[in-house]
Amino acid sequence: MKSREQFIQDLAPKKFTKVEKIWLGLLIVMILAGVVAYADQVRSGLQVTNLNDYALWGIYISNFVFFIATSFVGAATVAILRLTQNSWRTPLVRIAEIISLAAIIMAGITIIIDLGRPDRALYTVIYARFQSPITWDVIIIPTYMVAIFYLLYFPLLPDLAILKKYYSETKPRLSKWYGKLSLNWKGTDKQKRIQQKSIKIIAILVLPLGLILQTIDAWLFSSTYRIGWNSTNFGPYFISGAFVAGVGTLVVTIFLVRKVKGLEEYITDYHFDRMGKFLALACLIYLYFNANEYLMPAYASTVNEEVHLDTLFTGHYSTIFWFVTIGGLVVPIILLMFKKGRSPVAMFWIGVLVVLASWWKRYIIVTPTLLHPYLPIQGVPESWRDYFPSLHEWVITGSNLATALLILTLLVRYLPVVAIQRTIDESKLEHNDQKRES
Amino acid sequence: MKNCKITSFVFLFILISLGLGISDNDLYAQTKKNRARINADYVKVIGGESYLNIKASARIDKKTVEVSHIDLQILQELNDEEIQIGKTTTNASGISKFIIEDFANLQPDSLGVYNLIISFDGNDSFKKASRDVSFRNADIEAKWIVKDSVNYVSAKLIDTQLDSALAEIPLTVRVDRLFRPLKIGEDFYDTDNDGEIQVPIENGIPGIDGNLKLEVVLSESDDYGTVIAQLTAPIGTVIVDESTYDQRTMWSPRGKTPIFLLALTYSFIFIVWGIFIYLFINLVRIIKS
Repeated sequence: MKSREQFIQDLAPKKFTKVEKIWLGLLIVMILAGVVAYADQVRSGLQVTNLNDYALWGIYISNFVFFIATSFVGAATVAILRLTQNSWRTPLVRIAEIISLAAIIMAGITIIIDLGRPDRALYTVIYARFQSPITWDVIIIPTYMVAIFYLLYFPLLPDLAILKKYYSETKPRLSKWYGKLSLNWKGTDKQKRIQQKSIKIIAILVLPLGLILQTIDAWLFSSTYRIGWNSTNFGPYFISGAFVAGVGTLVVTIFLVRKVKGLEEYITDYHFDRMGKFLALACLIYLYFNANEYLMPAYASTVNEEVHLDTLFTGHYSTIFWFVTIGGLVVPIILLMFKKGRSPVAMFWIGVLVVLASWWKRYIIVTPTLLHPYLPIQGVPESWRDYFPSLHEWVITGSNLATALLILTLLVRYLPVVAIQRTIDESKLEHNDQKRES
Repeated sequence: MKNCKITSFVFLFILISLGLGISDNDLYAQTKKNRARINADYVKVIGGESYLNIKASARIDKKTVEVSHIDLQILQELNDEEIQIGKTTTNASGISKFIIEDFANLQPDSLGVYNLIISFDGNDSFKKASRDVSFRNADIEAKWIVKDSVNYVSAKLIDTQLDSALAEIPLTVRVDRLFRPLKIGEDFYDTDNDGEIQVPIENGIPGIDGNLKLEVVLSESDDYGTVIAQLTAPIGTVIVDESTYDQRTMWSPRGKTPIFLLALTYSFIFIVWGIFIYLFINLVRIIKS
């Protein structure tokens, strides 16, 4: 059995390697390019985008919906696994919490980027109309952000205290920061009692908040009388889609973090196997809702629905649609049924496929519907009948993604991605169990 | 030598054409003009305005297209003399409504006929065109009467110039509606020898405050154009105003948000953020302990 010091040494955050520094530099370059493009967008207005009177929600809203979906992983994995006392969760939950925090921060930023006049974002608060799902979104996003912050912070306290002590001689400045953030954690009974109680409360709270967040996001669409959106199915459809996007992102991140930080001993094949089953379940549920979402309108075949579905099934968006459905759902489900498909490397590539498909899925939820209004498109330039993001939009999108990854990278750099204290405690328990058995 | 000269001219012509950016199409467009067609109907609303409904179109590539934004002159023809009475321009759909501001100043000819000309002087794309509109002045005297508990619209059509009733002329009776008028009874009623018609109005036609805006119409007559007489009669079924403007609904402005929604949202905010405050207090308690 490993000693406490060995655990701390293994799990304490480590300096950036050369590859990580290059990665960081790349992210910063992408972010700077996005800042320049965004500054031009604010200066010149949304005319630099390819958004128009019809495609008024484009790639930015797709990004927003994607980030919202990804942020659900915190609520889904953390709360569910914590409340059901699943012990295999320990090495995974912190990364899930970090992804959630990064994603929900970026969701909040992305929606402001979509505004031609970002200064008017404040109007959504000043002139809030409670009947509007946009107002509910304005309420739920900061709420969920705070919840995820607490979900990350409370379990971190013992680890921060450990790191304070660990770095006290080698890195006193860093140690001082850890000390401040650990809130004078000594591990007394009273502190543990307060901490455990708080974690339990937030774990219970974050699940409904996550569900509300996804549902509101879905209602932003379904409360609009548009082909492909006006569906009672949309709430659960978005929740199950968020499961897929979130778990997919978690799988990819965990694989990379494990490899870069050398955590193979802590994040094992067993964890990937479990996550694989979790992802397969999520994909199956989402596939079911997809069938509901597309087959019922196809069966009813009203003229407008038919035009819309033709574009998806065989028309302009068919490549993306079938990539999303087959590549992002059917293939992962089939592969994840086999044990080999749940090995770390296979899981990584499946995760990449799922995440890519999840982003494009948001794109085809948002864009084709907007291009199929009930009233015919007429008296406008021919180019308005179609939408493809402009260079500005792509650069800003890349920058958004880079910012999310930067937040994630920095948090992974300075926080222990696997809970140190809990791993030690579980290891002791395991050791005692083995002793008792022998 | 001659061949050489011809070749040089041709070459020079091509060069100039290319240099000036003149294409075949441009040359074609400049030389060939289309013929614009003008249609006009005279409409008179008794007690209201008299106007011309003008529509300009053209046949281009075997398709009829609207001729938009062209300037038109309205002239009165009297004793072989043309007097301008106004100008108008067609809209994007090639339509224009020219209101005859001062009908009293229009002079009929010796036969009591008013002769107007809508004239287009032509432009870069269209040749000049014109359309004559001739009409006599007619009036419809319409009123609402009750006979044996049945409501009727009674109307009399007269030629104002001759001051005589017009017999056997088809009139239509209808109720004015927002999108399309509602026809009453048969498609049309011929006037009798006294130039009169009497048309029963069925019960149960809805109207705002129970008022029906009835119209008696002489439609597109060759001699008189279109003449419309309007009257309001309180014989309709009252429309109950179902407006929810003053109520708190999901579609009201933010000042009229339903109470349940306010209660639900504020409860959510207070409960969740209350828990957040409690958790913050717990952090403080951790520091202090």
